Amino acid sequence: MKRQRIRSSIREYSRLVIICSILILGTTGCWNRRELPDLAIVVGVGLDKVEDEEVTDKLELTAQIVKTSEMKSGNKGGGNSEAYWNAKNTGNSIFATIRGFTHQASRKLYWPHNQVIIFGRDLAKKGIQEYLDFFVRDQETRLGVWILVADDKASEILEVRPSLEKTPAISLDHLLEAQVATSQTSAIKLNEFVNRLLSKTTAPIAAMVKISSQGSEKSLLVTGTAVFKADKLIGELNITETLGLLWIINEVKSGIIDVECPESNGKVSLEIIRAKSKVTPEIIENKVHFKVEIEEESNIGSQSCSDNLEHLDAIEKLEEAQIAAIESEVRAALSKAKRLNADVFGFGDILHQKLPSEWKEMESMWDEVFPTIEVEVSVDTNVRRSGSSRKAVGQKEE
Amino acid sequence: MKLEKGELSSTQLMFLVAGFIQGSLLTLSFSKEVVKHDIWIAAIASFLLNLPLAFVYLTLALKFPGQNLIQINDNIFGPYLGKLVSLQYICLFFMIIAANLWFVGDFIITFFMPETPILVVMIMFTFICAWAVRAGIEVFARMSFLLVLMTSLTALITFALLLKDTKFSYFLPIFEVPIYDFLHGTHILMAIPFNEVFVFTMVIPYVNKLKQVKSSVLYGLIIGGITFLIVVIRNTAVLGPISNIVTSPSMETVRLIDIGKIISRLEAIVAIAFLVTMFLKVAVFYYATVLGIAQLLKLRSYVPLVIPIGILGIIIALSYESSIQFIYTATNTYPIFSLPFYVVLPVLSLLIAKLRKLPKQKERKAQ
Repeated sequence: MKRQRIRSSIREYSRLVIICSILILGTTGCWNRRELPDLAIVVGVGLDKVEDEEVTDKLELTAQIVKTSEMKSGNKGGGNSEAYWNAKNTGNSIFATIRGFTHQASRKLYWPHNQVIIFGRDLAKKGIQEYLDFFVRDQETRLGVWILVADDKASEILEVRPSLEKTPAISLDHLLEAQVATSQTSAIKLNEFVNRLLSKTTAPIAAMVKISSQGSEKSLLVTGTAVFKADKLIGELNITETLGLLWIINEVKSGIIDVECPESNGKVSLEIIRAKSKVTPEIIENKVHFKVEIEEESNIGSQSCSDNLEHLDAIEKLEEAQIAAIESEVRAALSKAKRLNADVFGFGDILHQKLPSEWKEMESMWDEVFPTIEVEVSVDTNVRRSGSSRKAVGQKEE
Repeated sequence: MKLEKGELSSTQLMFLVAGFIQGSLLTLSFSKEVVKHDIWIAAIASFLLNLPLAFVYLTLALKFPGQNLIQINDNIFGPYLGKLVSLQYICLFFMIIAANLWFVGDFIITFFMPETPILVVMIMFTFICAWAVRAGIEVFARMSFLLVLMTSLTALITFALLLKDTKFSYFLPIFEVPIYDFLHGTHILMAIPFNEVFVFTMVIPYVNKLKQVKSSVLYGLIIGGITFLIVVIRNTAVLGPISNIVTSPSMETVRLIDIGKIISRLEAIVAIAFLVTMFLKVAVFYYATVLGIAQLLKLRSYVPLVIPIGILGIIIALSYESSIQFIYTATNTYPIFSLPFYVVLPVLSLLIAKLRKLPKQKERKAQ
């Protein structure tokens, strides 16, 4: 009896071991096994039009691949070797171009860590929809990747060696994340870009990236907004207009507003600490009106004059000046957008969402309607705090 | 002769139903394509429309205590016609197994292992299901609590992590979709998964307290329905219009989770959490199929049927040609195809039972 029991328990255990080992073998996915040394991790990608006159409609793709061995924190600053390699390839379609890298890179490109997609200006003017499809469809690529438009060529952007980060692409990623502090560009990710592209009226926007050179030192500058109509680049907004755009679409998180001192010459810098905006559509006598309400709170960040700001009149004056500044930014953005006839604010979608029945009549002719819409801007601001000093540094006792 | 010796408690039944409904979280995208951002209304509508049908199923099952669908059909339609009806139901359950196997394989291949043959994924999934079914209903019903907990928590936690990315203006304008499309989308959601709860007529006879069956099935449906609503709202609020063009909105949504570059790339965990309840769903259908065949053929045990049915299921699953064809079938053919099974026949059965005054007093004593 006892022996029988032992034997049956042995049989049970061995069965369990066999089943478990079969399951463990299966979970690794032998067909898709890819070890870290076999991966060419792409952190950034730039797409350009080939300038060769004879071959039309050819794509030049620059993939920024990190050299994993150089990324080690130990050999910082040692040697000239860069931590990245910009592989280039040309082709007709994007997928074929990317697969073509297997001819020159010893490893297969690995996309999940891609941080930025940069479009060259010439390519963006011709239309980018056909290239975006890959980044949505492929299972390795992700939707949370930044979309940028280069001032000139995308490949040049990826060649600027950053001084703080190890690769240009990662540096761009940090730059765009830090943009929250100034609100001078429209940092936008792929999913939002595609959402704007899918909309019937809203114009896609993207951040602009430029190279600024000081002497021989080159650095990247993310500033301004690229404006698309459908999928073609048609213009750009400067810093003021970008800020105005961000006010309307409720994307301002922080930033600095410079206003004149109330009594003497000089500037007071106000730091935006909280901002909120609301857009409500209205139809008055067959004309579309939009009401933009902006609420903002700020702190005094610095002052260059020696006025006493520590009384209510001065604060009121600052608030008025601030309202005027915000309004002028919003107006600038509105007039530029109307001139480009690109609905970057998503007014069409707001109309669609809030007044669906009226929208149906306007849907097909939105391009004619948009330049004529009237926008009423009302700004409400509060200067809340003055930081850790209450009076100006240079203020004389009275 | 009793084929199933296990017994379920009513709590276990509740979690089994909840997990069964949650098993279809990944197939939500079928309806999403049709009703777009109004899918949350479709989800609520299909849930509510399903309640009277669920009531019909339960009344039918409880009218004949201790009898499952096959025996009920014999009673209502007579031994010959009843067998024919039962055979059709078994074929339906079997086809659902095959479709789900294909879906699991397709899902894993699309998102995780693109070069692995679909057969490998299917075999592994079927193996687990077969193992569970061999062990009996009681075993995987007991497991259901853990699996439901896992899926529900995942849905809630991912929603919480994505709250900062939600934009509720994506839901506007409410009810924009044309009424025909809305009916279509609601019907898809009813067919997969709410009406599928019919398969529990094969399980209910083994619940120990028949009085509580109604309430536990209802609570199970509510848990499943709420999870559905959470996931639907999360996907639309986070993704917006792009969720109408992606293959799996749930996967793309959780891919966007990025908390300080530390909590990110969670999609594998989410996929596992959704697949475990899918396992529960397939296991219930699997169990119903083998039990039904064993009863139809008057076998002494259903265990020898488990492996052959699994192999056949894989073979049928392999007959799907492409994911495009699969989605077309699921959105256009299947909802109509399943109507007689989920709506016409159950209602008809109940009517016949009422008219013939079944079950007869004598039979009830014999039980």
